[in-house]
Amino acid sequence: MEPLESIRDRILAAVPGARVEIVPNPSPSGQHSLLVDPEHALAVARFLRDDPALRFDYCSNVTGVDWLDKEITEKVRVRLRIEGEEREVEETRKHIRPGYLEVVYHLYSMTLRHGPLVLRMRTGNRTDQVRLPSLTPVWRSCEFQEREVYDLFGVVFEGHPDLRRILMWDGFQDYPMRKDYVEPDDYEYEPTPHGIVAEKARRHQTLVEPKTPPGSAAPPGSTTG
Amino acid sequence: MNSIGTAQIGDGYVTLVVFLIAALLFALVPLGLARLWAWRFAPPKPGPVKNGLYECGLESHGDAWRPFKSSYYLYAIVFLVFDVEIVFLLPFAVAFGGLPLGAVLAMMLFLLLVVEGLVWAWSKGVLRWA
Amino acid sequence: MDPGLRSELQRHGIFVTTLEQLYNWGRSNSLWPLGFGLACCAIEMIAASMARYDLARFGAEVFRPSPRQADLMIVAGTVTKKMAPQVVRLYNQMAEPKYVIAMGACAISGGPFKQGYNVLKGIDRYIPVDVHIPGCPPRPEALIHALMTLQQRIAEESLTGPDRPRHLRPDQPGEYPVPEFGPHDLVPPKNPEIWHPPAIRRPA
Repeated sequence: MEPLESIRDRILAAVPGARVEIVPNPSPSGQHSLLVDPEHALAVARFLRDDPALRFDYCSNVTGVDWLDKEITEKVRVRLRIEGEEREVEETRKHIRPGYLEVVYHLYSMTLRHGPLVLRMRTGNRTDQVRLPSLTPVWRSCEFQEREVYDLFGVVFEGHPDLRRILMWDGFQDYPMRKDYVEPDDYEYEPTPHGIVAEKARRHQTLVEPKTPPGSAAPPGSTTG
Repeated sequence: MNSIGTAQIGDGYVTLVVFLIAALLFALVPLGLARLWAWRFAPPKPGPVKNGLYECGLESHGDAWRPFKSSYYLYAIVFLVFDVEIVFLLPFAVAFGGLPLGAVLAMMLFLLLVVEGLVWAWSKGVLRWA
Repeated sequence: MDPGLRSELQRHGIFVTTLEQLYNWGRSNSLWPLGFGLACCAIEMIAASMARYDLARFGAEVFRPSPRQADLMIVAGTVTKKMAPQVVRLYNQMAEPKYVIAMGACAISGGPFKQGYNVLKGIDRYIPVDVHIPGCPPRPEALIHALMTLQQRIAEESLTGPDRPRHLRPDQPGEYPVPEFGPHDLVPPKNPEIWHPPAIRRPA
């Protein structure tokens, strides 16, 4: 497969107006990815599929990532006038980078036997601008996986032929894979005394059921002492 | 003579009646016992879910008596083409050596009709998967 | 009857029994399970019914395809929240007397998927479970052990009297409420009439 930089340049040449940038991956795998703007994503996807040197004809995986609002602190050197004297002072500034949802596509080429090419799209924010174009018209294997991303992350894919929940039921309102998902508190009882689950069970018992009713006393030996 | 004959006939009927009663009892006594047992020991517990339609645990919607789509006729035609063909082809192949010319011609006509149906289904795109 | 006298009579070729014992003997040796599996435990259940472990020795090899003909429900595997109403409805549609074996860590408590958003934390929140089998998954021997435990329990059931089992009491329900799909969780999240969480007593 040709290097990512040249793929990006050829996309920019082939799809006018597209904004494509390379998201580096600092880990040892070094699997860098292409970030595509949602407006031109469909054209970029068609180019990647049809270009004779690339021919990414198989989308193996679609997944979502939830990025929360992030507080970024950076040190900036500013000129300040202190006691009548101009000095250069280092100042820490904090700003909040708004969160967004990201959809990641892994593309392979069956005919040319190369891949994967990692394609990313990002939504505007996490609440109301969650619409992205569906790539199902380009790769049919995206259909169920985009439904799964819709189900678990709440990304709305425009142009999807059948956008319904796939794993949870239709009346379900939450998006369970989002990082701020609050799970229902049903940790009434936890027989295995380890870590987080035992902590959740203890919190449940102190918050919801401060006193155990007398009829539901544990039979001897059923709980660890 | 006469009395012996009637006695013999009467004996035959008595055996029959005994058998009939035994057969009836054989069928009815277990049923009655089960009924008695249920009345004495097993309280009936009917309920809307228990008496509901069995749909592998899913909630059933609507009536079971509903018309099928008429487009299923394609399946019927393709089934006929392949299945009826097999039914007639096998004896035809077994008896092929000793068949008169008329029978072979009739069979060929039949095959032509069936193949015509296949060609029609093929050209209609029924055989394409997806 | 005095058990000593009975064994003495048996030695002389005289067998006595009560109607209750005969009835329970017949029932406990012809438990017909409902043929359904939910996850990997079902593979072990299938293995238990096959030639090597041979569940047929216990009269329980006839896996029925319909709840109307089954009297044992083996909940083999992870019960997801989407599947739980179906399992409860299948249990409700079984004819009395009916018994439940919860097989594996998932069916008894949610198991390794307990913290998942989609997994029910034990099927005994909705239906009464007679025998729990721990294990992930339990081996076929464990299922056989559970079946023998259940047979023992059935053999000890009395037909009359105050301690007769649930299915012989007219006041006890024959079917349990099927949970509905709610906006965040199943509604209700548990059946408080049959499931009481034991209190955790653990040094802090």
